[in-house]
Amino acid sequence: MNKLKYLGKRLLMSVPVVWLGASMTWFIIFMGPVDPASRLLSEGQTRNPAAYEAAQIQLGLNQPPLQHYLDWMSNLAVFDLGQTWLLYQGSNVNALILDFLPRTLWLGFWSVLIAVFVGVPLGFYAGMRSNTASDYVASMGGIVWRAMPNFWLAIMLLTVLGSAYTLAAGDFFALNFDWQTIGPNLDSISGSPDLSRLDTVDGFLAATKKVLPAAVVLGSASMGNEMRIGRTAVLEVRNEDYIDLAKAKGVSKRALVWKHILRNALVPLVPIITSEAFLLIGGSVLVETVFGINGIGNLFYQAAIQGDLPLVGTLMYVFILMIVGINLIQDLLYTLIDPRVGLEGS
Amino acid sequence: MARAHETTSGTLLPTNSPAAVWAAIGAVLFAAQAGAFFGFVVGVLGDLLTVTPLPGAAFVTAVEAAVEQIPTLLSRDVIPNDGYWNGSRWVGTFLGLRPSLAWGIRAALVYLYAFAFAGWGILGYRLYRREYRTADWTPRDDMVDRFRGHKWGIFGLVVVFMFVVMAVFAPVLGPTTVDENMRNSYSNEITYWDSDAEAVQTTLVGEANLASQSRGDNPERVLPMEYDDFGRFHPFGTLPSGQDLFTFIVSGSRLSLVIGLLSVGLSAGIAASLALVAAYYKGRTDLGLVLASDSVMAMPQLLLLIMLTTVLSGTWLAEIYSGGFVLALIFAGTGWTYMWRSLRGPALQVAERQWIDAAQSFGQRPLTIMRKHMLPYITGYLLIYGSMTLGGAIISIAGLSYLGLGIAPPTPEWGRAINLGQDYVATGSWHISLIPGLLITLVVTGFNALGDGVRDAIDPQSDATTEDGAAGRGGGA
Repeated sequence: MNKLKYLGKRLLMSVPVVWLGASMTWFIIFMGPVDPASRLLSEGQTRNPAAYEAAQIQLGLNQPPLQHYLDWMSNLAVFDLGQTWLLYQGSNVNALILDFLPRTLWLGFWSVLIAVFVGVPLGFYAGMRSNTASDYVASMGGIVWRAMPNFWLAIMLLTVLGSAYTLAAGDFFALNFDWQTIGPNLDSISGSPDLSRLDTVDGFLAATKKVLPAAVVLGSASMGNEMRIGRTAVLEVRNEDYIDLAKAKGVSKRALVWKHILRNALVPLVPIITSEAFLLIGGSVLVETVFGINGIGNLFYQAAIQGDLPLVGTLMYVFILMIVGINLIQDLLYTLIDPRVGLEGS
Repeated sequence: MARAHETTSGTLLPTNSPAAVWAAIGAVLFAAQAGAFFGFVVGVLGDLLTVTPLPGAAFVTAVEAAVEQIPTLLSRDVIPNDGYWNGSRWVGTFLGLRPSLAWGIRAALVYLYAFAFAGWGILGYRLYRREYRTADWTPRDDMVDRFRGHKWGIFGLVVVFMFVVMAVFAPVLGPTTVDENMRNSYSNEITYWDSDAEAVQTTLVGEANLASQSRGDNPERVLPMEYDDFGRFHPFGTLPSGQDLFTFIVSGSRLSLVIGLLSVGLSAGIAASLALVAAYYKGRTDLGLVLASDSVMAMPQLLLLIMLTTVLSGTWLAEIYSGGFVLALIFAGTGWTYMWRSLRGPALQVAERQWIDAAQSFGQRPLTIMRKHMLPYITGYLLIYGSMTLGGAIISIAGLSYLGLGIAPPTPEWGRAINLGQDYVATGSWHISLIPGLLITLVVTGFNALGDGVRDAIDPQSDATTEDGAAGRGGGA
């Protein structure tokens, strides 16, 4: 019951967060120093008062600000996101988002998966062997890996994957590493994954291979974080009294590690894994731009530089919803994993 | 004070006051670089004033001219590296040495000087602690001692210090200047040895740049630690435009540091005051602030940065410091939430302490209580998060300028160098993207290490990081 109450409270709290976030976005876009209507028009059109007025009416900017705000917010609330003005001119924003979002989700899915399945075991490994050479190597690697700028790492990875064949083609290398020919063949290393054939094995592999380098880059920061937290968590749990008790009881080493140490060390990792959403969604702009993936982050960037400010605002609303949603999932996971949640009052 | 007199008798010099000796050393060190110091201060002021609609721009230019007259030891004039080969020897370089050596000596001296200055500072602190402070021990001593034994933190401190020195001495460190090599390359001439004509010739810097471009595998490309055809030394090679990459990076480091410090300082100020307010008043105020920060955090920081830079570009704010000032403001406006989140916990803990109740019952005003009885307990955390956020800010600035946002294009910025070189990474001109990226990685690692070190020094029990490390990574850039 307490848990349900806790979850309900969190759900209730997320409503004003979305509202405030959307309001701030509206204020920045429509009340900022840039006139969205004139940004939509080309050089010649700005001098044409009729075209300008038409753009203003279409955006609803001829109304008083409060009226416009209410209209905009109510449209967002019912997901009537309107149409684009500059980018993919005149297309329905809902359709556009539905078209672009899956690619970003596919990328995000793999980057979370890679980060979790590499970072967490590595962190646990380092924690179990704390203060040994392998711990230092792993920790050091995680720290440096985490400090690398994503966009730079992306460029370097693209280069390495693109030129691996020439690197390994020397006489001494029997090992012919070529990313292009490992597994399914791709026409190019970068670009959008083809998500239409996910149900076939071949299509699934091809789409996965396509986003894999981008996912590694996007997950790099999270991987470093997870490693660090995982290591500390294992170290902390190892020093708990119940581990000593379990040892004294004669619990087998294997059960000790898997059941008592690793399982408890997972708890502090939950918020880390879910809060990667911040990094993933923010980083998706740069990574998608470098890898040429037509995802929602790239769409946002294109809209911003081309001056389609209404689309920028709408996409920001979508991002806000995504982040708030992920936060709610985090709370849900928390209540499932940690029995203490909801019992402490706050 | 009596203790001080007993122990100071051991001074070697005929004065009885080690502080005087220490101050004299400091004055000598400062005098050697006074010109550069004032030049920097006046330069920053001038940058701010020339674009804002404030009076005083003319006055600043006058001061700038006056400051240039102050002699400086470590300057391009005292140890010049740009000279030419006249067929038998180098002309115009320091002691007639090769330009690479002359530049190397200058760079080494700059760092020697900086480390001497740092050593002087440390000496002063230890002198104060040993001779002048009335207390034998303060809790802060333990923190300093813990930090001294923290190798990882020391590594971070050294990296950060070297980065700061790079930023501070930017105009001296480069083999050439931004003005000569980039901004006004067609108003400056260089003299060089034309090996075909076997004669000394002059040409415009812009023309020379065109003939030393690094574009893939072209034969004119200039790799790190190489000379171009005009006898100019390029420690990091050249850009695709033929400009000197080292000068570009050094100048960019100053920009990154100024923006980073400004934004982190601002967001630390906002975060600390809001954390104190939230912790002191609790209840509704706290809830309201949680909602506000949650809403700002619900907008991914990097996307918010992109949105705000787009919206604010073209305003007068965006012209100050090549767009750096508005970037710092945006960073502060979006970044305080992460720091506030991390400070709120410690602040709430302090607010529960009995001395707060006591101060309240004395009738002290809330503002005084927050400042005097709460703030000192969270300043340590400010240092930790500040250091980590600075690293993130550097990544974000680089990421934005990689995308072509934020810093106006002709101004050097690390991210732009990566952008300029990205088509050539797989070719012979691999250095353009690789070097700035490695430097960012190193500097950010340094800031994180410094943050770790400070954290372990202040509170060895805690495992404080910025809220889930998001801010420490520049919102995913």
